[in-house]
Amino acid sequence: MNTLLPAIGFGLVTASILAVAGVGFTLQFGVTNILNLAYGDIMTAAAFVAYLVTSAGVSVWLALVAGAAFGGVFSVVLNRALYTPFVRHGTRLFGMIIVTISVSLIVQNGLQAIFGASFFSLNMPRPAPIHVAGMVFTTVQFAIIGIAVAAMLLVHLLLRYTKLGKAMRATASDPELARNCGIATDRVIDLAWALSGTLCGLAGVILVMNVTAFTDTTGSQFLIPVVAVAVLGGIGQPYGAMLGALIIGIASEVAAAVISPDYKNVVAFVILVIVLLARPQGILSEIATRKEVAA
Amino acid sequence: MSAPAGPLLTVRDLHREFGGVRAVNGASFEVPGGGITGLIGPNGAGKSTVLNVIAGSIKPTSGEIAYREQDITALPPYKLARRGIIRTFQLSSEFAQLTVLENLLVAAPGQRGETLWQAALGKRYWRAQERAVVQRARELLTRFDMTAKEDEYAGNLSGGQKRLLELMRGLMAEPALLLLDEPMAGVNPSLARRIEQHLLDLCGEGLTMLMIEHELAVVERLCDPVIVMAQGRVIAQGSMADVRTDREVLDAYLIG
Amino acid sequence: MSVAWQFYISTVLIYLGVDVIACWGLNLQFGVAGLVNFAYIIFQAAGAYTAAVLTLGPATRGGFQQYIGGAHLPFPVPILVAGVVGGLLAAVVGGLAIRRLRSDYEAMVMLVVSLIATSVATNQSGLVNGSNGLALVPKPLAAMVNLSPIGYQWLFVGITAVICLCVYWLVHIVTSSPLGRTLRAVRDNEQAAAALGKNVAALRMLAFVLGGVLAGISGAILVEFISAWSPGSWLYPETFVYFTAVIVGGSGNNLGVMVGALLVPVAFLEATRFVPQFGPPGLIDALQWIIVGVLALVFLWFWPRGVIPERRRRFPRPAEGEADGAPRRVPLFLRAGR
Repeated sequence: MNTLLPAIGFGLVTASILAVAGVGFTLQFGVTNILNLAYGDIMTAAAFVAYLVTSAGVSVWLALVAGAAFGGVFSVVLNRALYTPFVRHGTRLFGMIIVTISVSLIVQNGLQAIFGASFFSLNMPRPAPIHVAGMVFTTVQFAIIGIAVAAMLLVHLLLRYTKLGKAMRATASDPELARNCGIATDRVIDLAWALSGTLCGLAGVILVMNVTAFTDTTGSQFLIPVVAVAVLGGIGQPYGAMLGALIIGIASEVAAAVISPDYKNVVAFVILVIVLLARPQGILSEIATRKEVAA
Repeated sequence: MSAPAGPLLTVRDLHREFGGVRAVNGASFEVPGGGITGLIGPNGAGKSTVLNVIAGSIKPTSGEIAYREQDITALPPYKLARRGIIRTFQLSSEFAQLTVLENLLVAAPGQRGETLWQAALGKRYWRAQERAVVQRARELLTRFDMTAKEDEYAGNLSGGQKRLLELMRGLMAEPALLLLDEPMAGVNPSLARRIEQHLLDLCGEGLTMLMIEHELAVVERLCDPVIVMAQGRVIAQGSMADVRTDREVLDAYLIG
Repeated sequence: MSVAWQFYISTVLIYLGVDVIACWGLNLQFGVAGLVNFAYIIFQAAGAYTAAVLTLGPATRGGFQQYIGGAHLPFPVPILVAGVVGGLLAAVVGGLAIRRLRSDYEAMVMLVVSLIATSVATNQSGLVNGSNGLALVPKPLAAMVNLSPIGYQWLFVGITAVICLCVYWLVHIVTSSPLGRTLRAVRDNEQAAAALGKNVAALRMLAFVLGGVLAGISGAILVEFISAWSPGSWLYPETFVYFTAVIVGGSGNNLGVMVGALLVPVAFLEATRFVPQFGPPGLIDALQWIIVGVLALVFLWFWPRGVIPERRRRFPRPAEGEADGAPRRVPLFLRAGR
């Protein structure tokens, strides 16, 4: 028992980061229909932006804002300058995946070329431990959970109560129909890249806040559980991704504590396999029925 | 070949729900052998869903489909196709990076060299049959006046030519029952008349078809019997003349 | 030719053979059947590992490397078994991922599989000796033939060439037969192919497994040649190199893919040997990957069909005179039913 509770605590932290990244990823893919495999590398890039900001002696909170803003702007520009032109040029799904991997490689290795292949860490105040119900958090981890909860609430409000948010949700849950109804306009697409990119940037910064050191591959390594979260929750389902993050985050940390740290990613994989066998459309998705309607 | 005694296809009490919405709600009808059976009804009547269920691409919630008095409910599409139930799609579904001729060749059933082992036996094993299939495909191209497009990539065809290819490919698959989902949707009037004539000719040669069509004038010229659906049910069936005077049908078309 | 040059050229040729086989396998999956398999490199790694342990002999208790299933099998057997293992692994992964999944889902699952497999291989030391990998794999036939090192190099080139020919025969019969045409139809429109009586799931699975077999064989040749196996050399960007090779060469065209293998993994990675080192360590590596990425983008934009595009298949027409003038009515071959 005494390893389980702290593990659940770690799990909550991991789940928070996963939720921010996963919701961004699932919205991006659901709304724009582009499987952006450079997502993890944009997270890393945002982390490096935050690194530069904190190295200049500015507070880590401002670095967080800078990283998130960078993620949003970079994603919108990336889509406008590269992805959309390729789609208009007639590149189909497979081709687009190759395009996004190219971007992933270019961003990751670009960072390596600029910063060098070594370890980096954010310059921030030394965290203090906080005990909550048998779980131990650092102040930073506490902040991460808080940031994630706030971000999820904001996303919820945005999707539920604003016109653009509703349009985005409609597009994510049924792109075909939304397009036919004239919803999926460029504005919605732009907003989707901005919102998902901001979440991506935010996730990148909180990810490296939680580790002692990061490299140019930190974000792309994190992409596995993020994708697992998105698949688990059902593509285009932000609430599914939140639930998926909670499940995978806690399960992987518990497995790491109880079995062996090596199994951290394996758990995500096993969960994914079970989901694929039992319910390929994800836990909170109506994709299956939709697919049949479209057939 | 003698005509089968009973109907070719029987649909009994078919239901299909999508997340609480009843797209098909207890549809029953028969498709007699020979001739073109029309499936009509206002938008959202469940026509396409019925066609998709018959073709196996949607599983019914409940109900039964019998073909030549054998239960075929919920068989996968490829097994239905191998029994001779061939469907066309409402949106063109050409193999874009194959030539027109290759599109037709793919459709030929029972090809030699289509499994790994047969392919490994080499060209000599499948060449003779391939020649026969190519010849048949060319005859179809001649019949549909598409010979000039033989080597064109199917993706480069015009919308109307794609409709013709869709029909030719269906025929190449040696159908016993051809399911047509709005075969004339979105083509210009003169091509629509040509397709109509082709369908009449095929009908005269003994091919059984079940066709969804919006244009009532076309249905009147081609189809007998006609099945009218509204809100997931069959509300009338019979000849177009009978159906036309049916009170319920008039209501469905005026209201629906 | 000096011995050093002979060594260099024979080594490049062997790498070329390995890459060509791997690219043909990936082309069967991606170019012909339209399956996006990001885990491709894992099948190559599995084949390589199989060949290594089947050549190394049983692991000794307390020995410096730990692995399972060791045996001493004579030369072509480890390579053949590696192909079988690659195929079996493909059957398992395919069974998971090719289950009526949307193709985008499928790609994601493959990506995750490849990343996870790498992390398992790196962490489970009992299974594959962890991140240390395997070393000192005996070279095939080396104990039986009495050749100078350079003579052996050329023997290995010969072996590789023979395997390449066999593999070419396999990919050729698949792509040039009605089977290949049907696979391409499945790639272009799955639903329509199913509606014409094609068992789409089985066909996709076939292409996937064949690709897995070729990946396994290519990995086996590589490991027998370099005598070592390490999980670090099978990371998912390597799959991307093969994808780039297939796209640059011309997906769907076996010859084009061969050219792609020559241009991207071989020529490109070899060329950097001659670039003087500059900057901090890792910079050249990083630049190399950036260039591979840019190369893929440039080709997808300007030449999406590759250097040698997929061939447009034309069929010979019957000789003049055979065809009589008036178009005949075609009998429809209506079936009496089965």
